[in-house]
Amino acid sequence: MDRYKAAVILLVEDDIGDQKLTKQALCGDRVGNELNIVNSGEKALEYLEKSKRNEPSCPMPDLILLDLNMPGMGGKSLLKQFRDDPLLNLIPVVILTTSDSDRDVLESFQLQAAGYVQKPANLDGFRQTMKDLSDYWFVICKRVEYDHDSVAVGAGAS
Amino acid sequence: MEVGKMSVVLLVEDDPGDQKLMRYALSQQELQSHLEIVGTGEEALDYLERSAEEGSSICRPHLILLDLNMPGIGGKEFLRRVKHDPRFFDIPVVIVSTSDAAGDIQDSYKMKAAGYIQKCPSPEDLRRVVQKLVRYWFATSTLVKNNTSMAGCR
Repeated sequence: MDRYKAAVILLVEDDIGDQKLTKQALCGDRVGNELNIVNSGEKALEYLEKSKRNEPSCPMPDLILLDLNMPGMGGKSLLKQFRDDPLLNLIPVVILTTSDSDRDVLESFQLQAAGYVQKPANLDGFRQTMKDLSDYWFVICKRVEYDHDSVAVGAGAS
Repeated sequence: MEVGKMSVVLLVEDDPGDQKLMRYALSQQELQSHLEIVGTGEEALDYLERSAEEGSSICRPHLILLDLNMPGIGGKEFLRRVKHDPRFFDIPVVIVSTSDAAGDIQDSYKMKAAGYIQKCPSPEDLRRVVQKLVRYWFATSTLVKNNTSMAGCR
């Protein structure tokens, strides 16, 4: 227990500053997380289609961190796309946004987000938030495991 | 964590020993919480129904902790029903089970569980696990506002 298992994370975020903060907070030297970043909903779908085809550059993520407000396909539209996909709907999606609107919170959970995290304003806050998020998803939660054909086959790594 | 705000957790668990362990683990956290315990999926559905009645004093849970193996409809069927009911499908449900079977984990995420935790037999281990769970759900994540009257939550 309490062992940190490195994870593949897909960050869907258009803001370069927030991309950098998330990377610093999630990929410190303590952990071997692989963070892949795309800057739009459309790019996220492209990435995940490649994951399904088992392209090595796009490993199937254990967790998706999703911004809500992006040009083009926003976070909520992307969540809707996941609903009907038997493989993509296995991946927990956590909203990471500046919005604190009650409506955004409610709609995100109605679309089955697995958490709604407001972006902290500074790096220390960001680090703490990402630590708490990582402790939950990558230390105490079991994960779906994917085989080389990207078909979900098993439980969290030992 | 917001001080003075009551967090309502519904535990669906048939084992009295595990109920007691979870009550202990939650009581050790810096969280003002109300833990409601029911022993079956049917009772949990009944609890949710009552919480949805107009003017109900039953607290709508912010978070549901769900065992899988229980008599009656069991955890998976409960999860399926909650996630198909527009009155309740926004409530995050975290599985807390002894099982680490790949099929159980996969089925649970497919049915939109918001996490899958394996039960710890020791109170100290469970306290540490629940600490991380509480920090994620009640300090890091924002949850849907609970509009139910809190009169019934002491």
